[in-house]
Amino acid sequence: MTRRLNNKLLLAFMLIAFGAGLFKAFNLHPSKSFQPPAQGVEKNSAAIFQSSFVSSKQNVQTHASSVIELKDGRLRAFWFSGSREGAGDVEIHSAVFDPARGQWSTEQAVVSREDTQRSLMRYVKKLGNPVPARAADGTLWLYYVTVSMGGWAGSSITAITSADEGETWSPARRLITSPFLNISTLLKGAPISYSDGTMGLPVYHEFISKFGELLHLDASGRVLDKQRLTAGGNGALQPVMLVKNPTDALVLMRYAGPDAPHRAISVATRDAGQHWTAPAKSALLNPDSALAALVLPDGRMLAVLNNIEQQRDALSLMVSADGGVSWKTVYPLEDQLAERKQPLDNAHFDKILQGLVKDTDASAANVGSYVASTRRTMCGEQPCHFEFSYPYMIQARNGDIHLVYTWNRSFIKHVRFDQAWLDRHLEKMP
Amino acid sequence: MMAFTDMTGLAGSVIVIAAVAARLPVAARLHRPYFSLLLGVVAIAAMIPFGDLPLAAYVRGIIGDLSIVSLVLLLQSMTRPLCGWPRPDVQSRVALLALVALGAVALYPMALGAGLFDPYRLGYGSPWLVGALLLIALAAYFRRMVLVAFCLTLAVLAWVAGWYESTNLWDYLLDPLLAIYATGALVAHGARRLRT
Repeated sequence: MTRRLNNKLLLAFMLIAFGAGLFKAFNLHPSKSFQPPAQGVEKNSAAIFQSSFVSSKQNVQTHASSVIELKDGRLRAFWFSGSREGAGDVEIHSAVFDPARGQWSTEQAVVSREDTQRSLMRYVKKLGNPVPARAADGTLWLYYVTVSMGGWAGSSITAITSADEGETWSPARRLITSPFLNISTLLKGAPISYSDGTMGLPVYHEFISKFGELLHLDASGRVLDKQRLTAGGNGALQPVMLVKNPTDALVLMRYAGPDAPHRAISVATRDAGQHWTAPAKSALLNPDSALAALVLPDGRMLAVLNNIEQQRDALSLMVSADGGVSWKTVYPLEDQLAERKQPLDNAHFDKILQGLVKDTDASAANVGSYVASTRRTMCGEQPCHFEFSYPYMIQARNGDIHLVYTWNRSFIKHVRFDQAWLDRHLEKMP
Repeated sequence: MMAFTDMTGLAGSVIVIAAVAARLPVAARLHRPYFSLLLGVVAIAAMIPFGDLPLAAYVRGIIGDLSIVSLVLLLQSMTRPLCGWPRPDVQSRVALLALVALGAVALYPMALGAGLFDPYRLGYGSPWLVGALLLIALAAYFRRMVLVAFCLTLAVLAWVAGWYESTNLWDYLLDPLLAIYATGALVAHGARRLRT
């Protein structure tokens, strides 16, 4: 009698649970169209091209910067900073740029490893790449990489939110995106929006094999879906999405594979991500390094990357007028290729650095300390060398383009240019 | 204030730590009241912070949140000596472990990059996955494999309720530690059958 009752209760329990499960499953409807970014184009008479350092802290290693426009038109940048990449003292730092004054605020720590693990109620070993996002309700999100065990292949994504444009932040929340101990989801590229207010976050996987993925998140940051952009083994990672219109997008990815030619990998969709083309090598050279790209309002595409097959000592601004099929260099942002010919001694390295610091920020008062700080990072076990890497690029609502990138692993550099400057350089091109 | 999903996640880690303690040779020699006391003390100790975090949070940092199926099996193994319950029927237990092992073989290699298809994606609300689990649970129910039907049902219910941070149904059904245990237990079961 009791057993029969227990069986009936179990059957009722099953029907309720699976009924609710099916109801939930049928009510999760991922968006079917992209929301291209809204961009205004301000026709400035003056062609603006400015550069400055975003970070100011000396004698640290900085990397993986990103930037977002605030509601009042200012910019907020994020990057990680600490004694060395992967160290336990690495924190996510932030500074705010006022376009009217052309100046960055003093950098501040946003979140530390200790803050994160206390919020997550999990041990956290180190922090990595931060990427900001704007939710449909206006909340500012910051997604960043955290590792509890192992190297970067053991990463997970953590998120914090701010209702006051980054002045204060919520406790951290963990995104669960992988079935294998939730490891190996990292991010680098800028998020995209869908027409229903949800968000797409380009991410990538590194454990055992490397591949690009696209996370689909709702306005409260819950993971709705995860889509693979390339199969493992293609060496494609750090996807950057170029949304052309509600259905068409191109994804460019860093190529970490061994096979020449070393070129960025591309995949495309014509149905808002329902299907993706097979990965192909694009026309962009890529020395296993991150790239940044965006679509201009007129449909042309801009990319910033190390347009070389080895090392990261040159960084170029490129343009494509044919949807990403062919690319031309618009402007060499950094170029130290000539210094590859012979090993750099400290004195020569310092001299070049002094020039680069002054080129970046003519008003920099303490050039010597910038040089010393950079030499500490770039001249060690290896001979002195240059690195300009991990670009992140956005277009502000007024049409200005803002680029931030790692400058010799010691500082974060900001480059701002407007449509008039860009048009002037595009006119000069053959 | 601690989030609900942190409480449930930490509770899972506490259960793991208590289950490890229950497997210590010294625990096997204890009488029932002292065994209960040991589990209680270990559970409380796992929640006491040292440094920034309690031991349970360090464990959680490494193993993540355990699947519901793991929790059921761990709780069952710990409470059986306390309550004097009989062992679950072998057929039901072997069927559950076989399902876990099959699920792990189907999920992990592809989720880690073998090919373009990612079965983990189905866990974000595919009616096909929920429907398939319903069929398996019903088949188990009518074959009187109560443990299988109960575990699958509880996992689906926990997913619907948002018991953990994960929004993916697979995380409620499987975890790598459970997959390793299931494989080992099935091999041991097969070896025993061969010997007899």
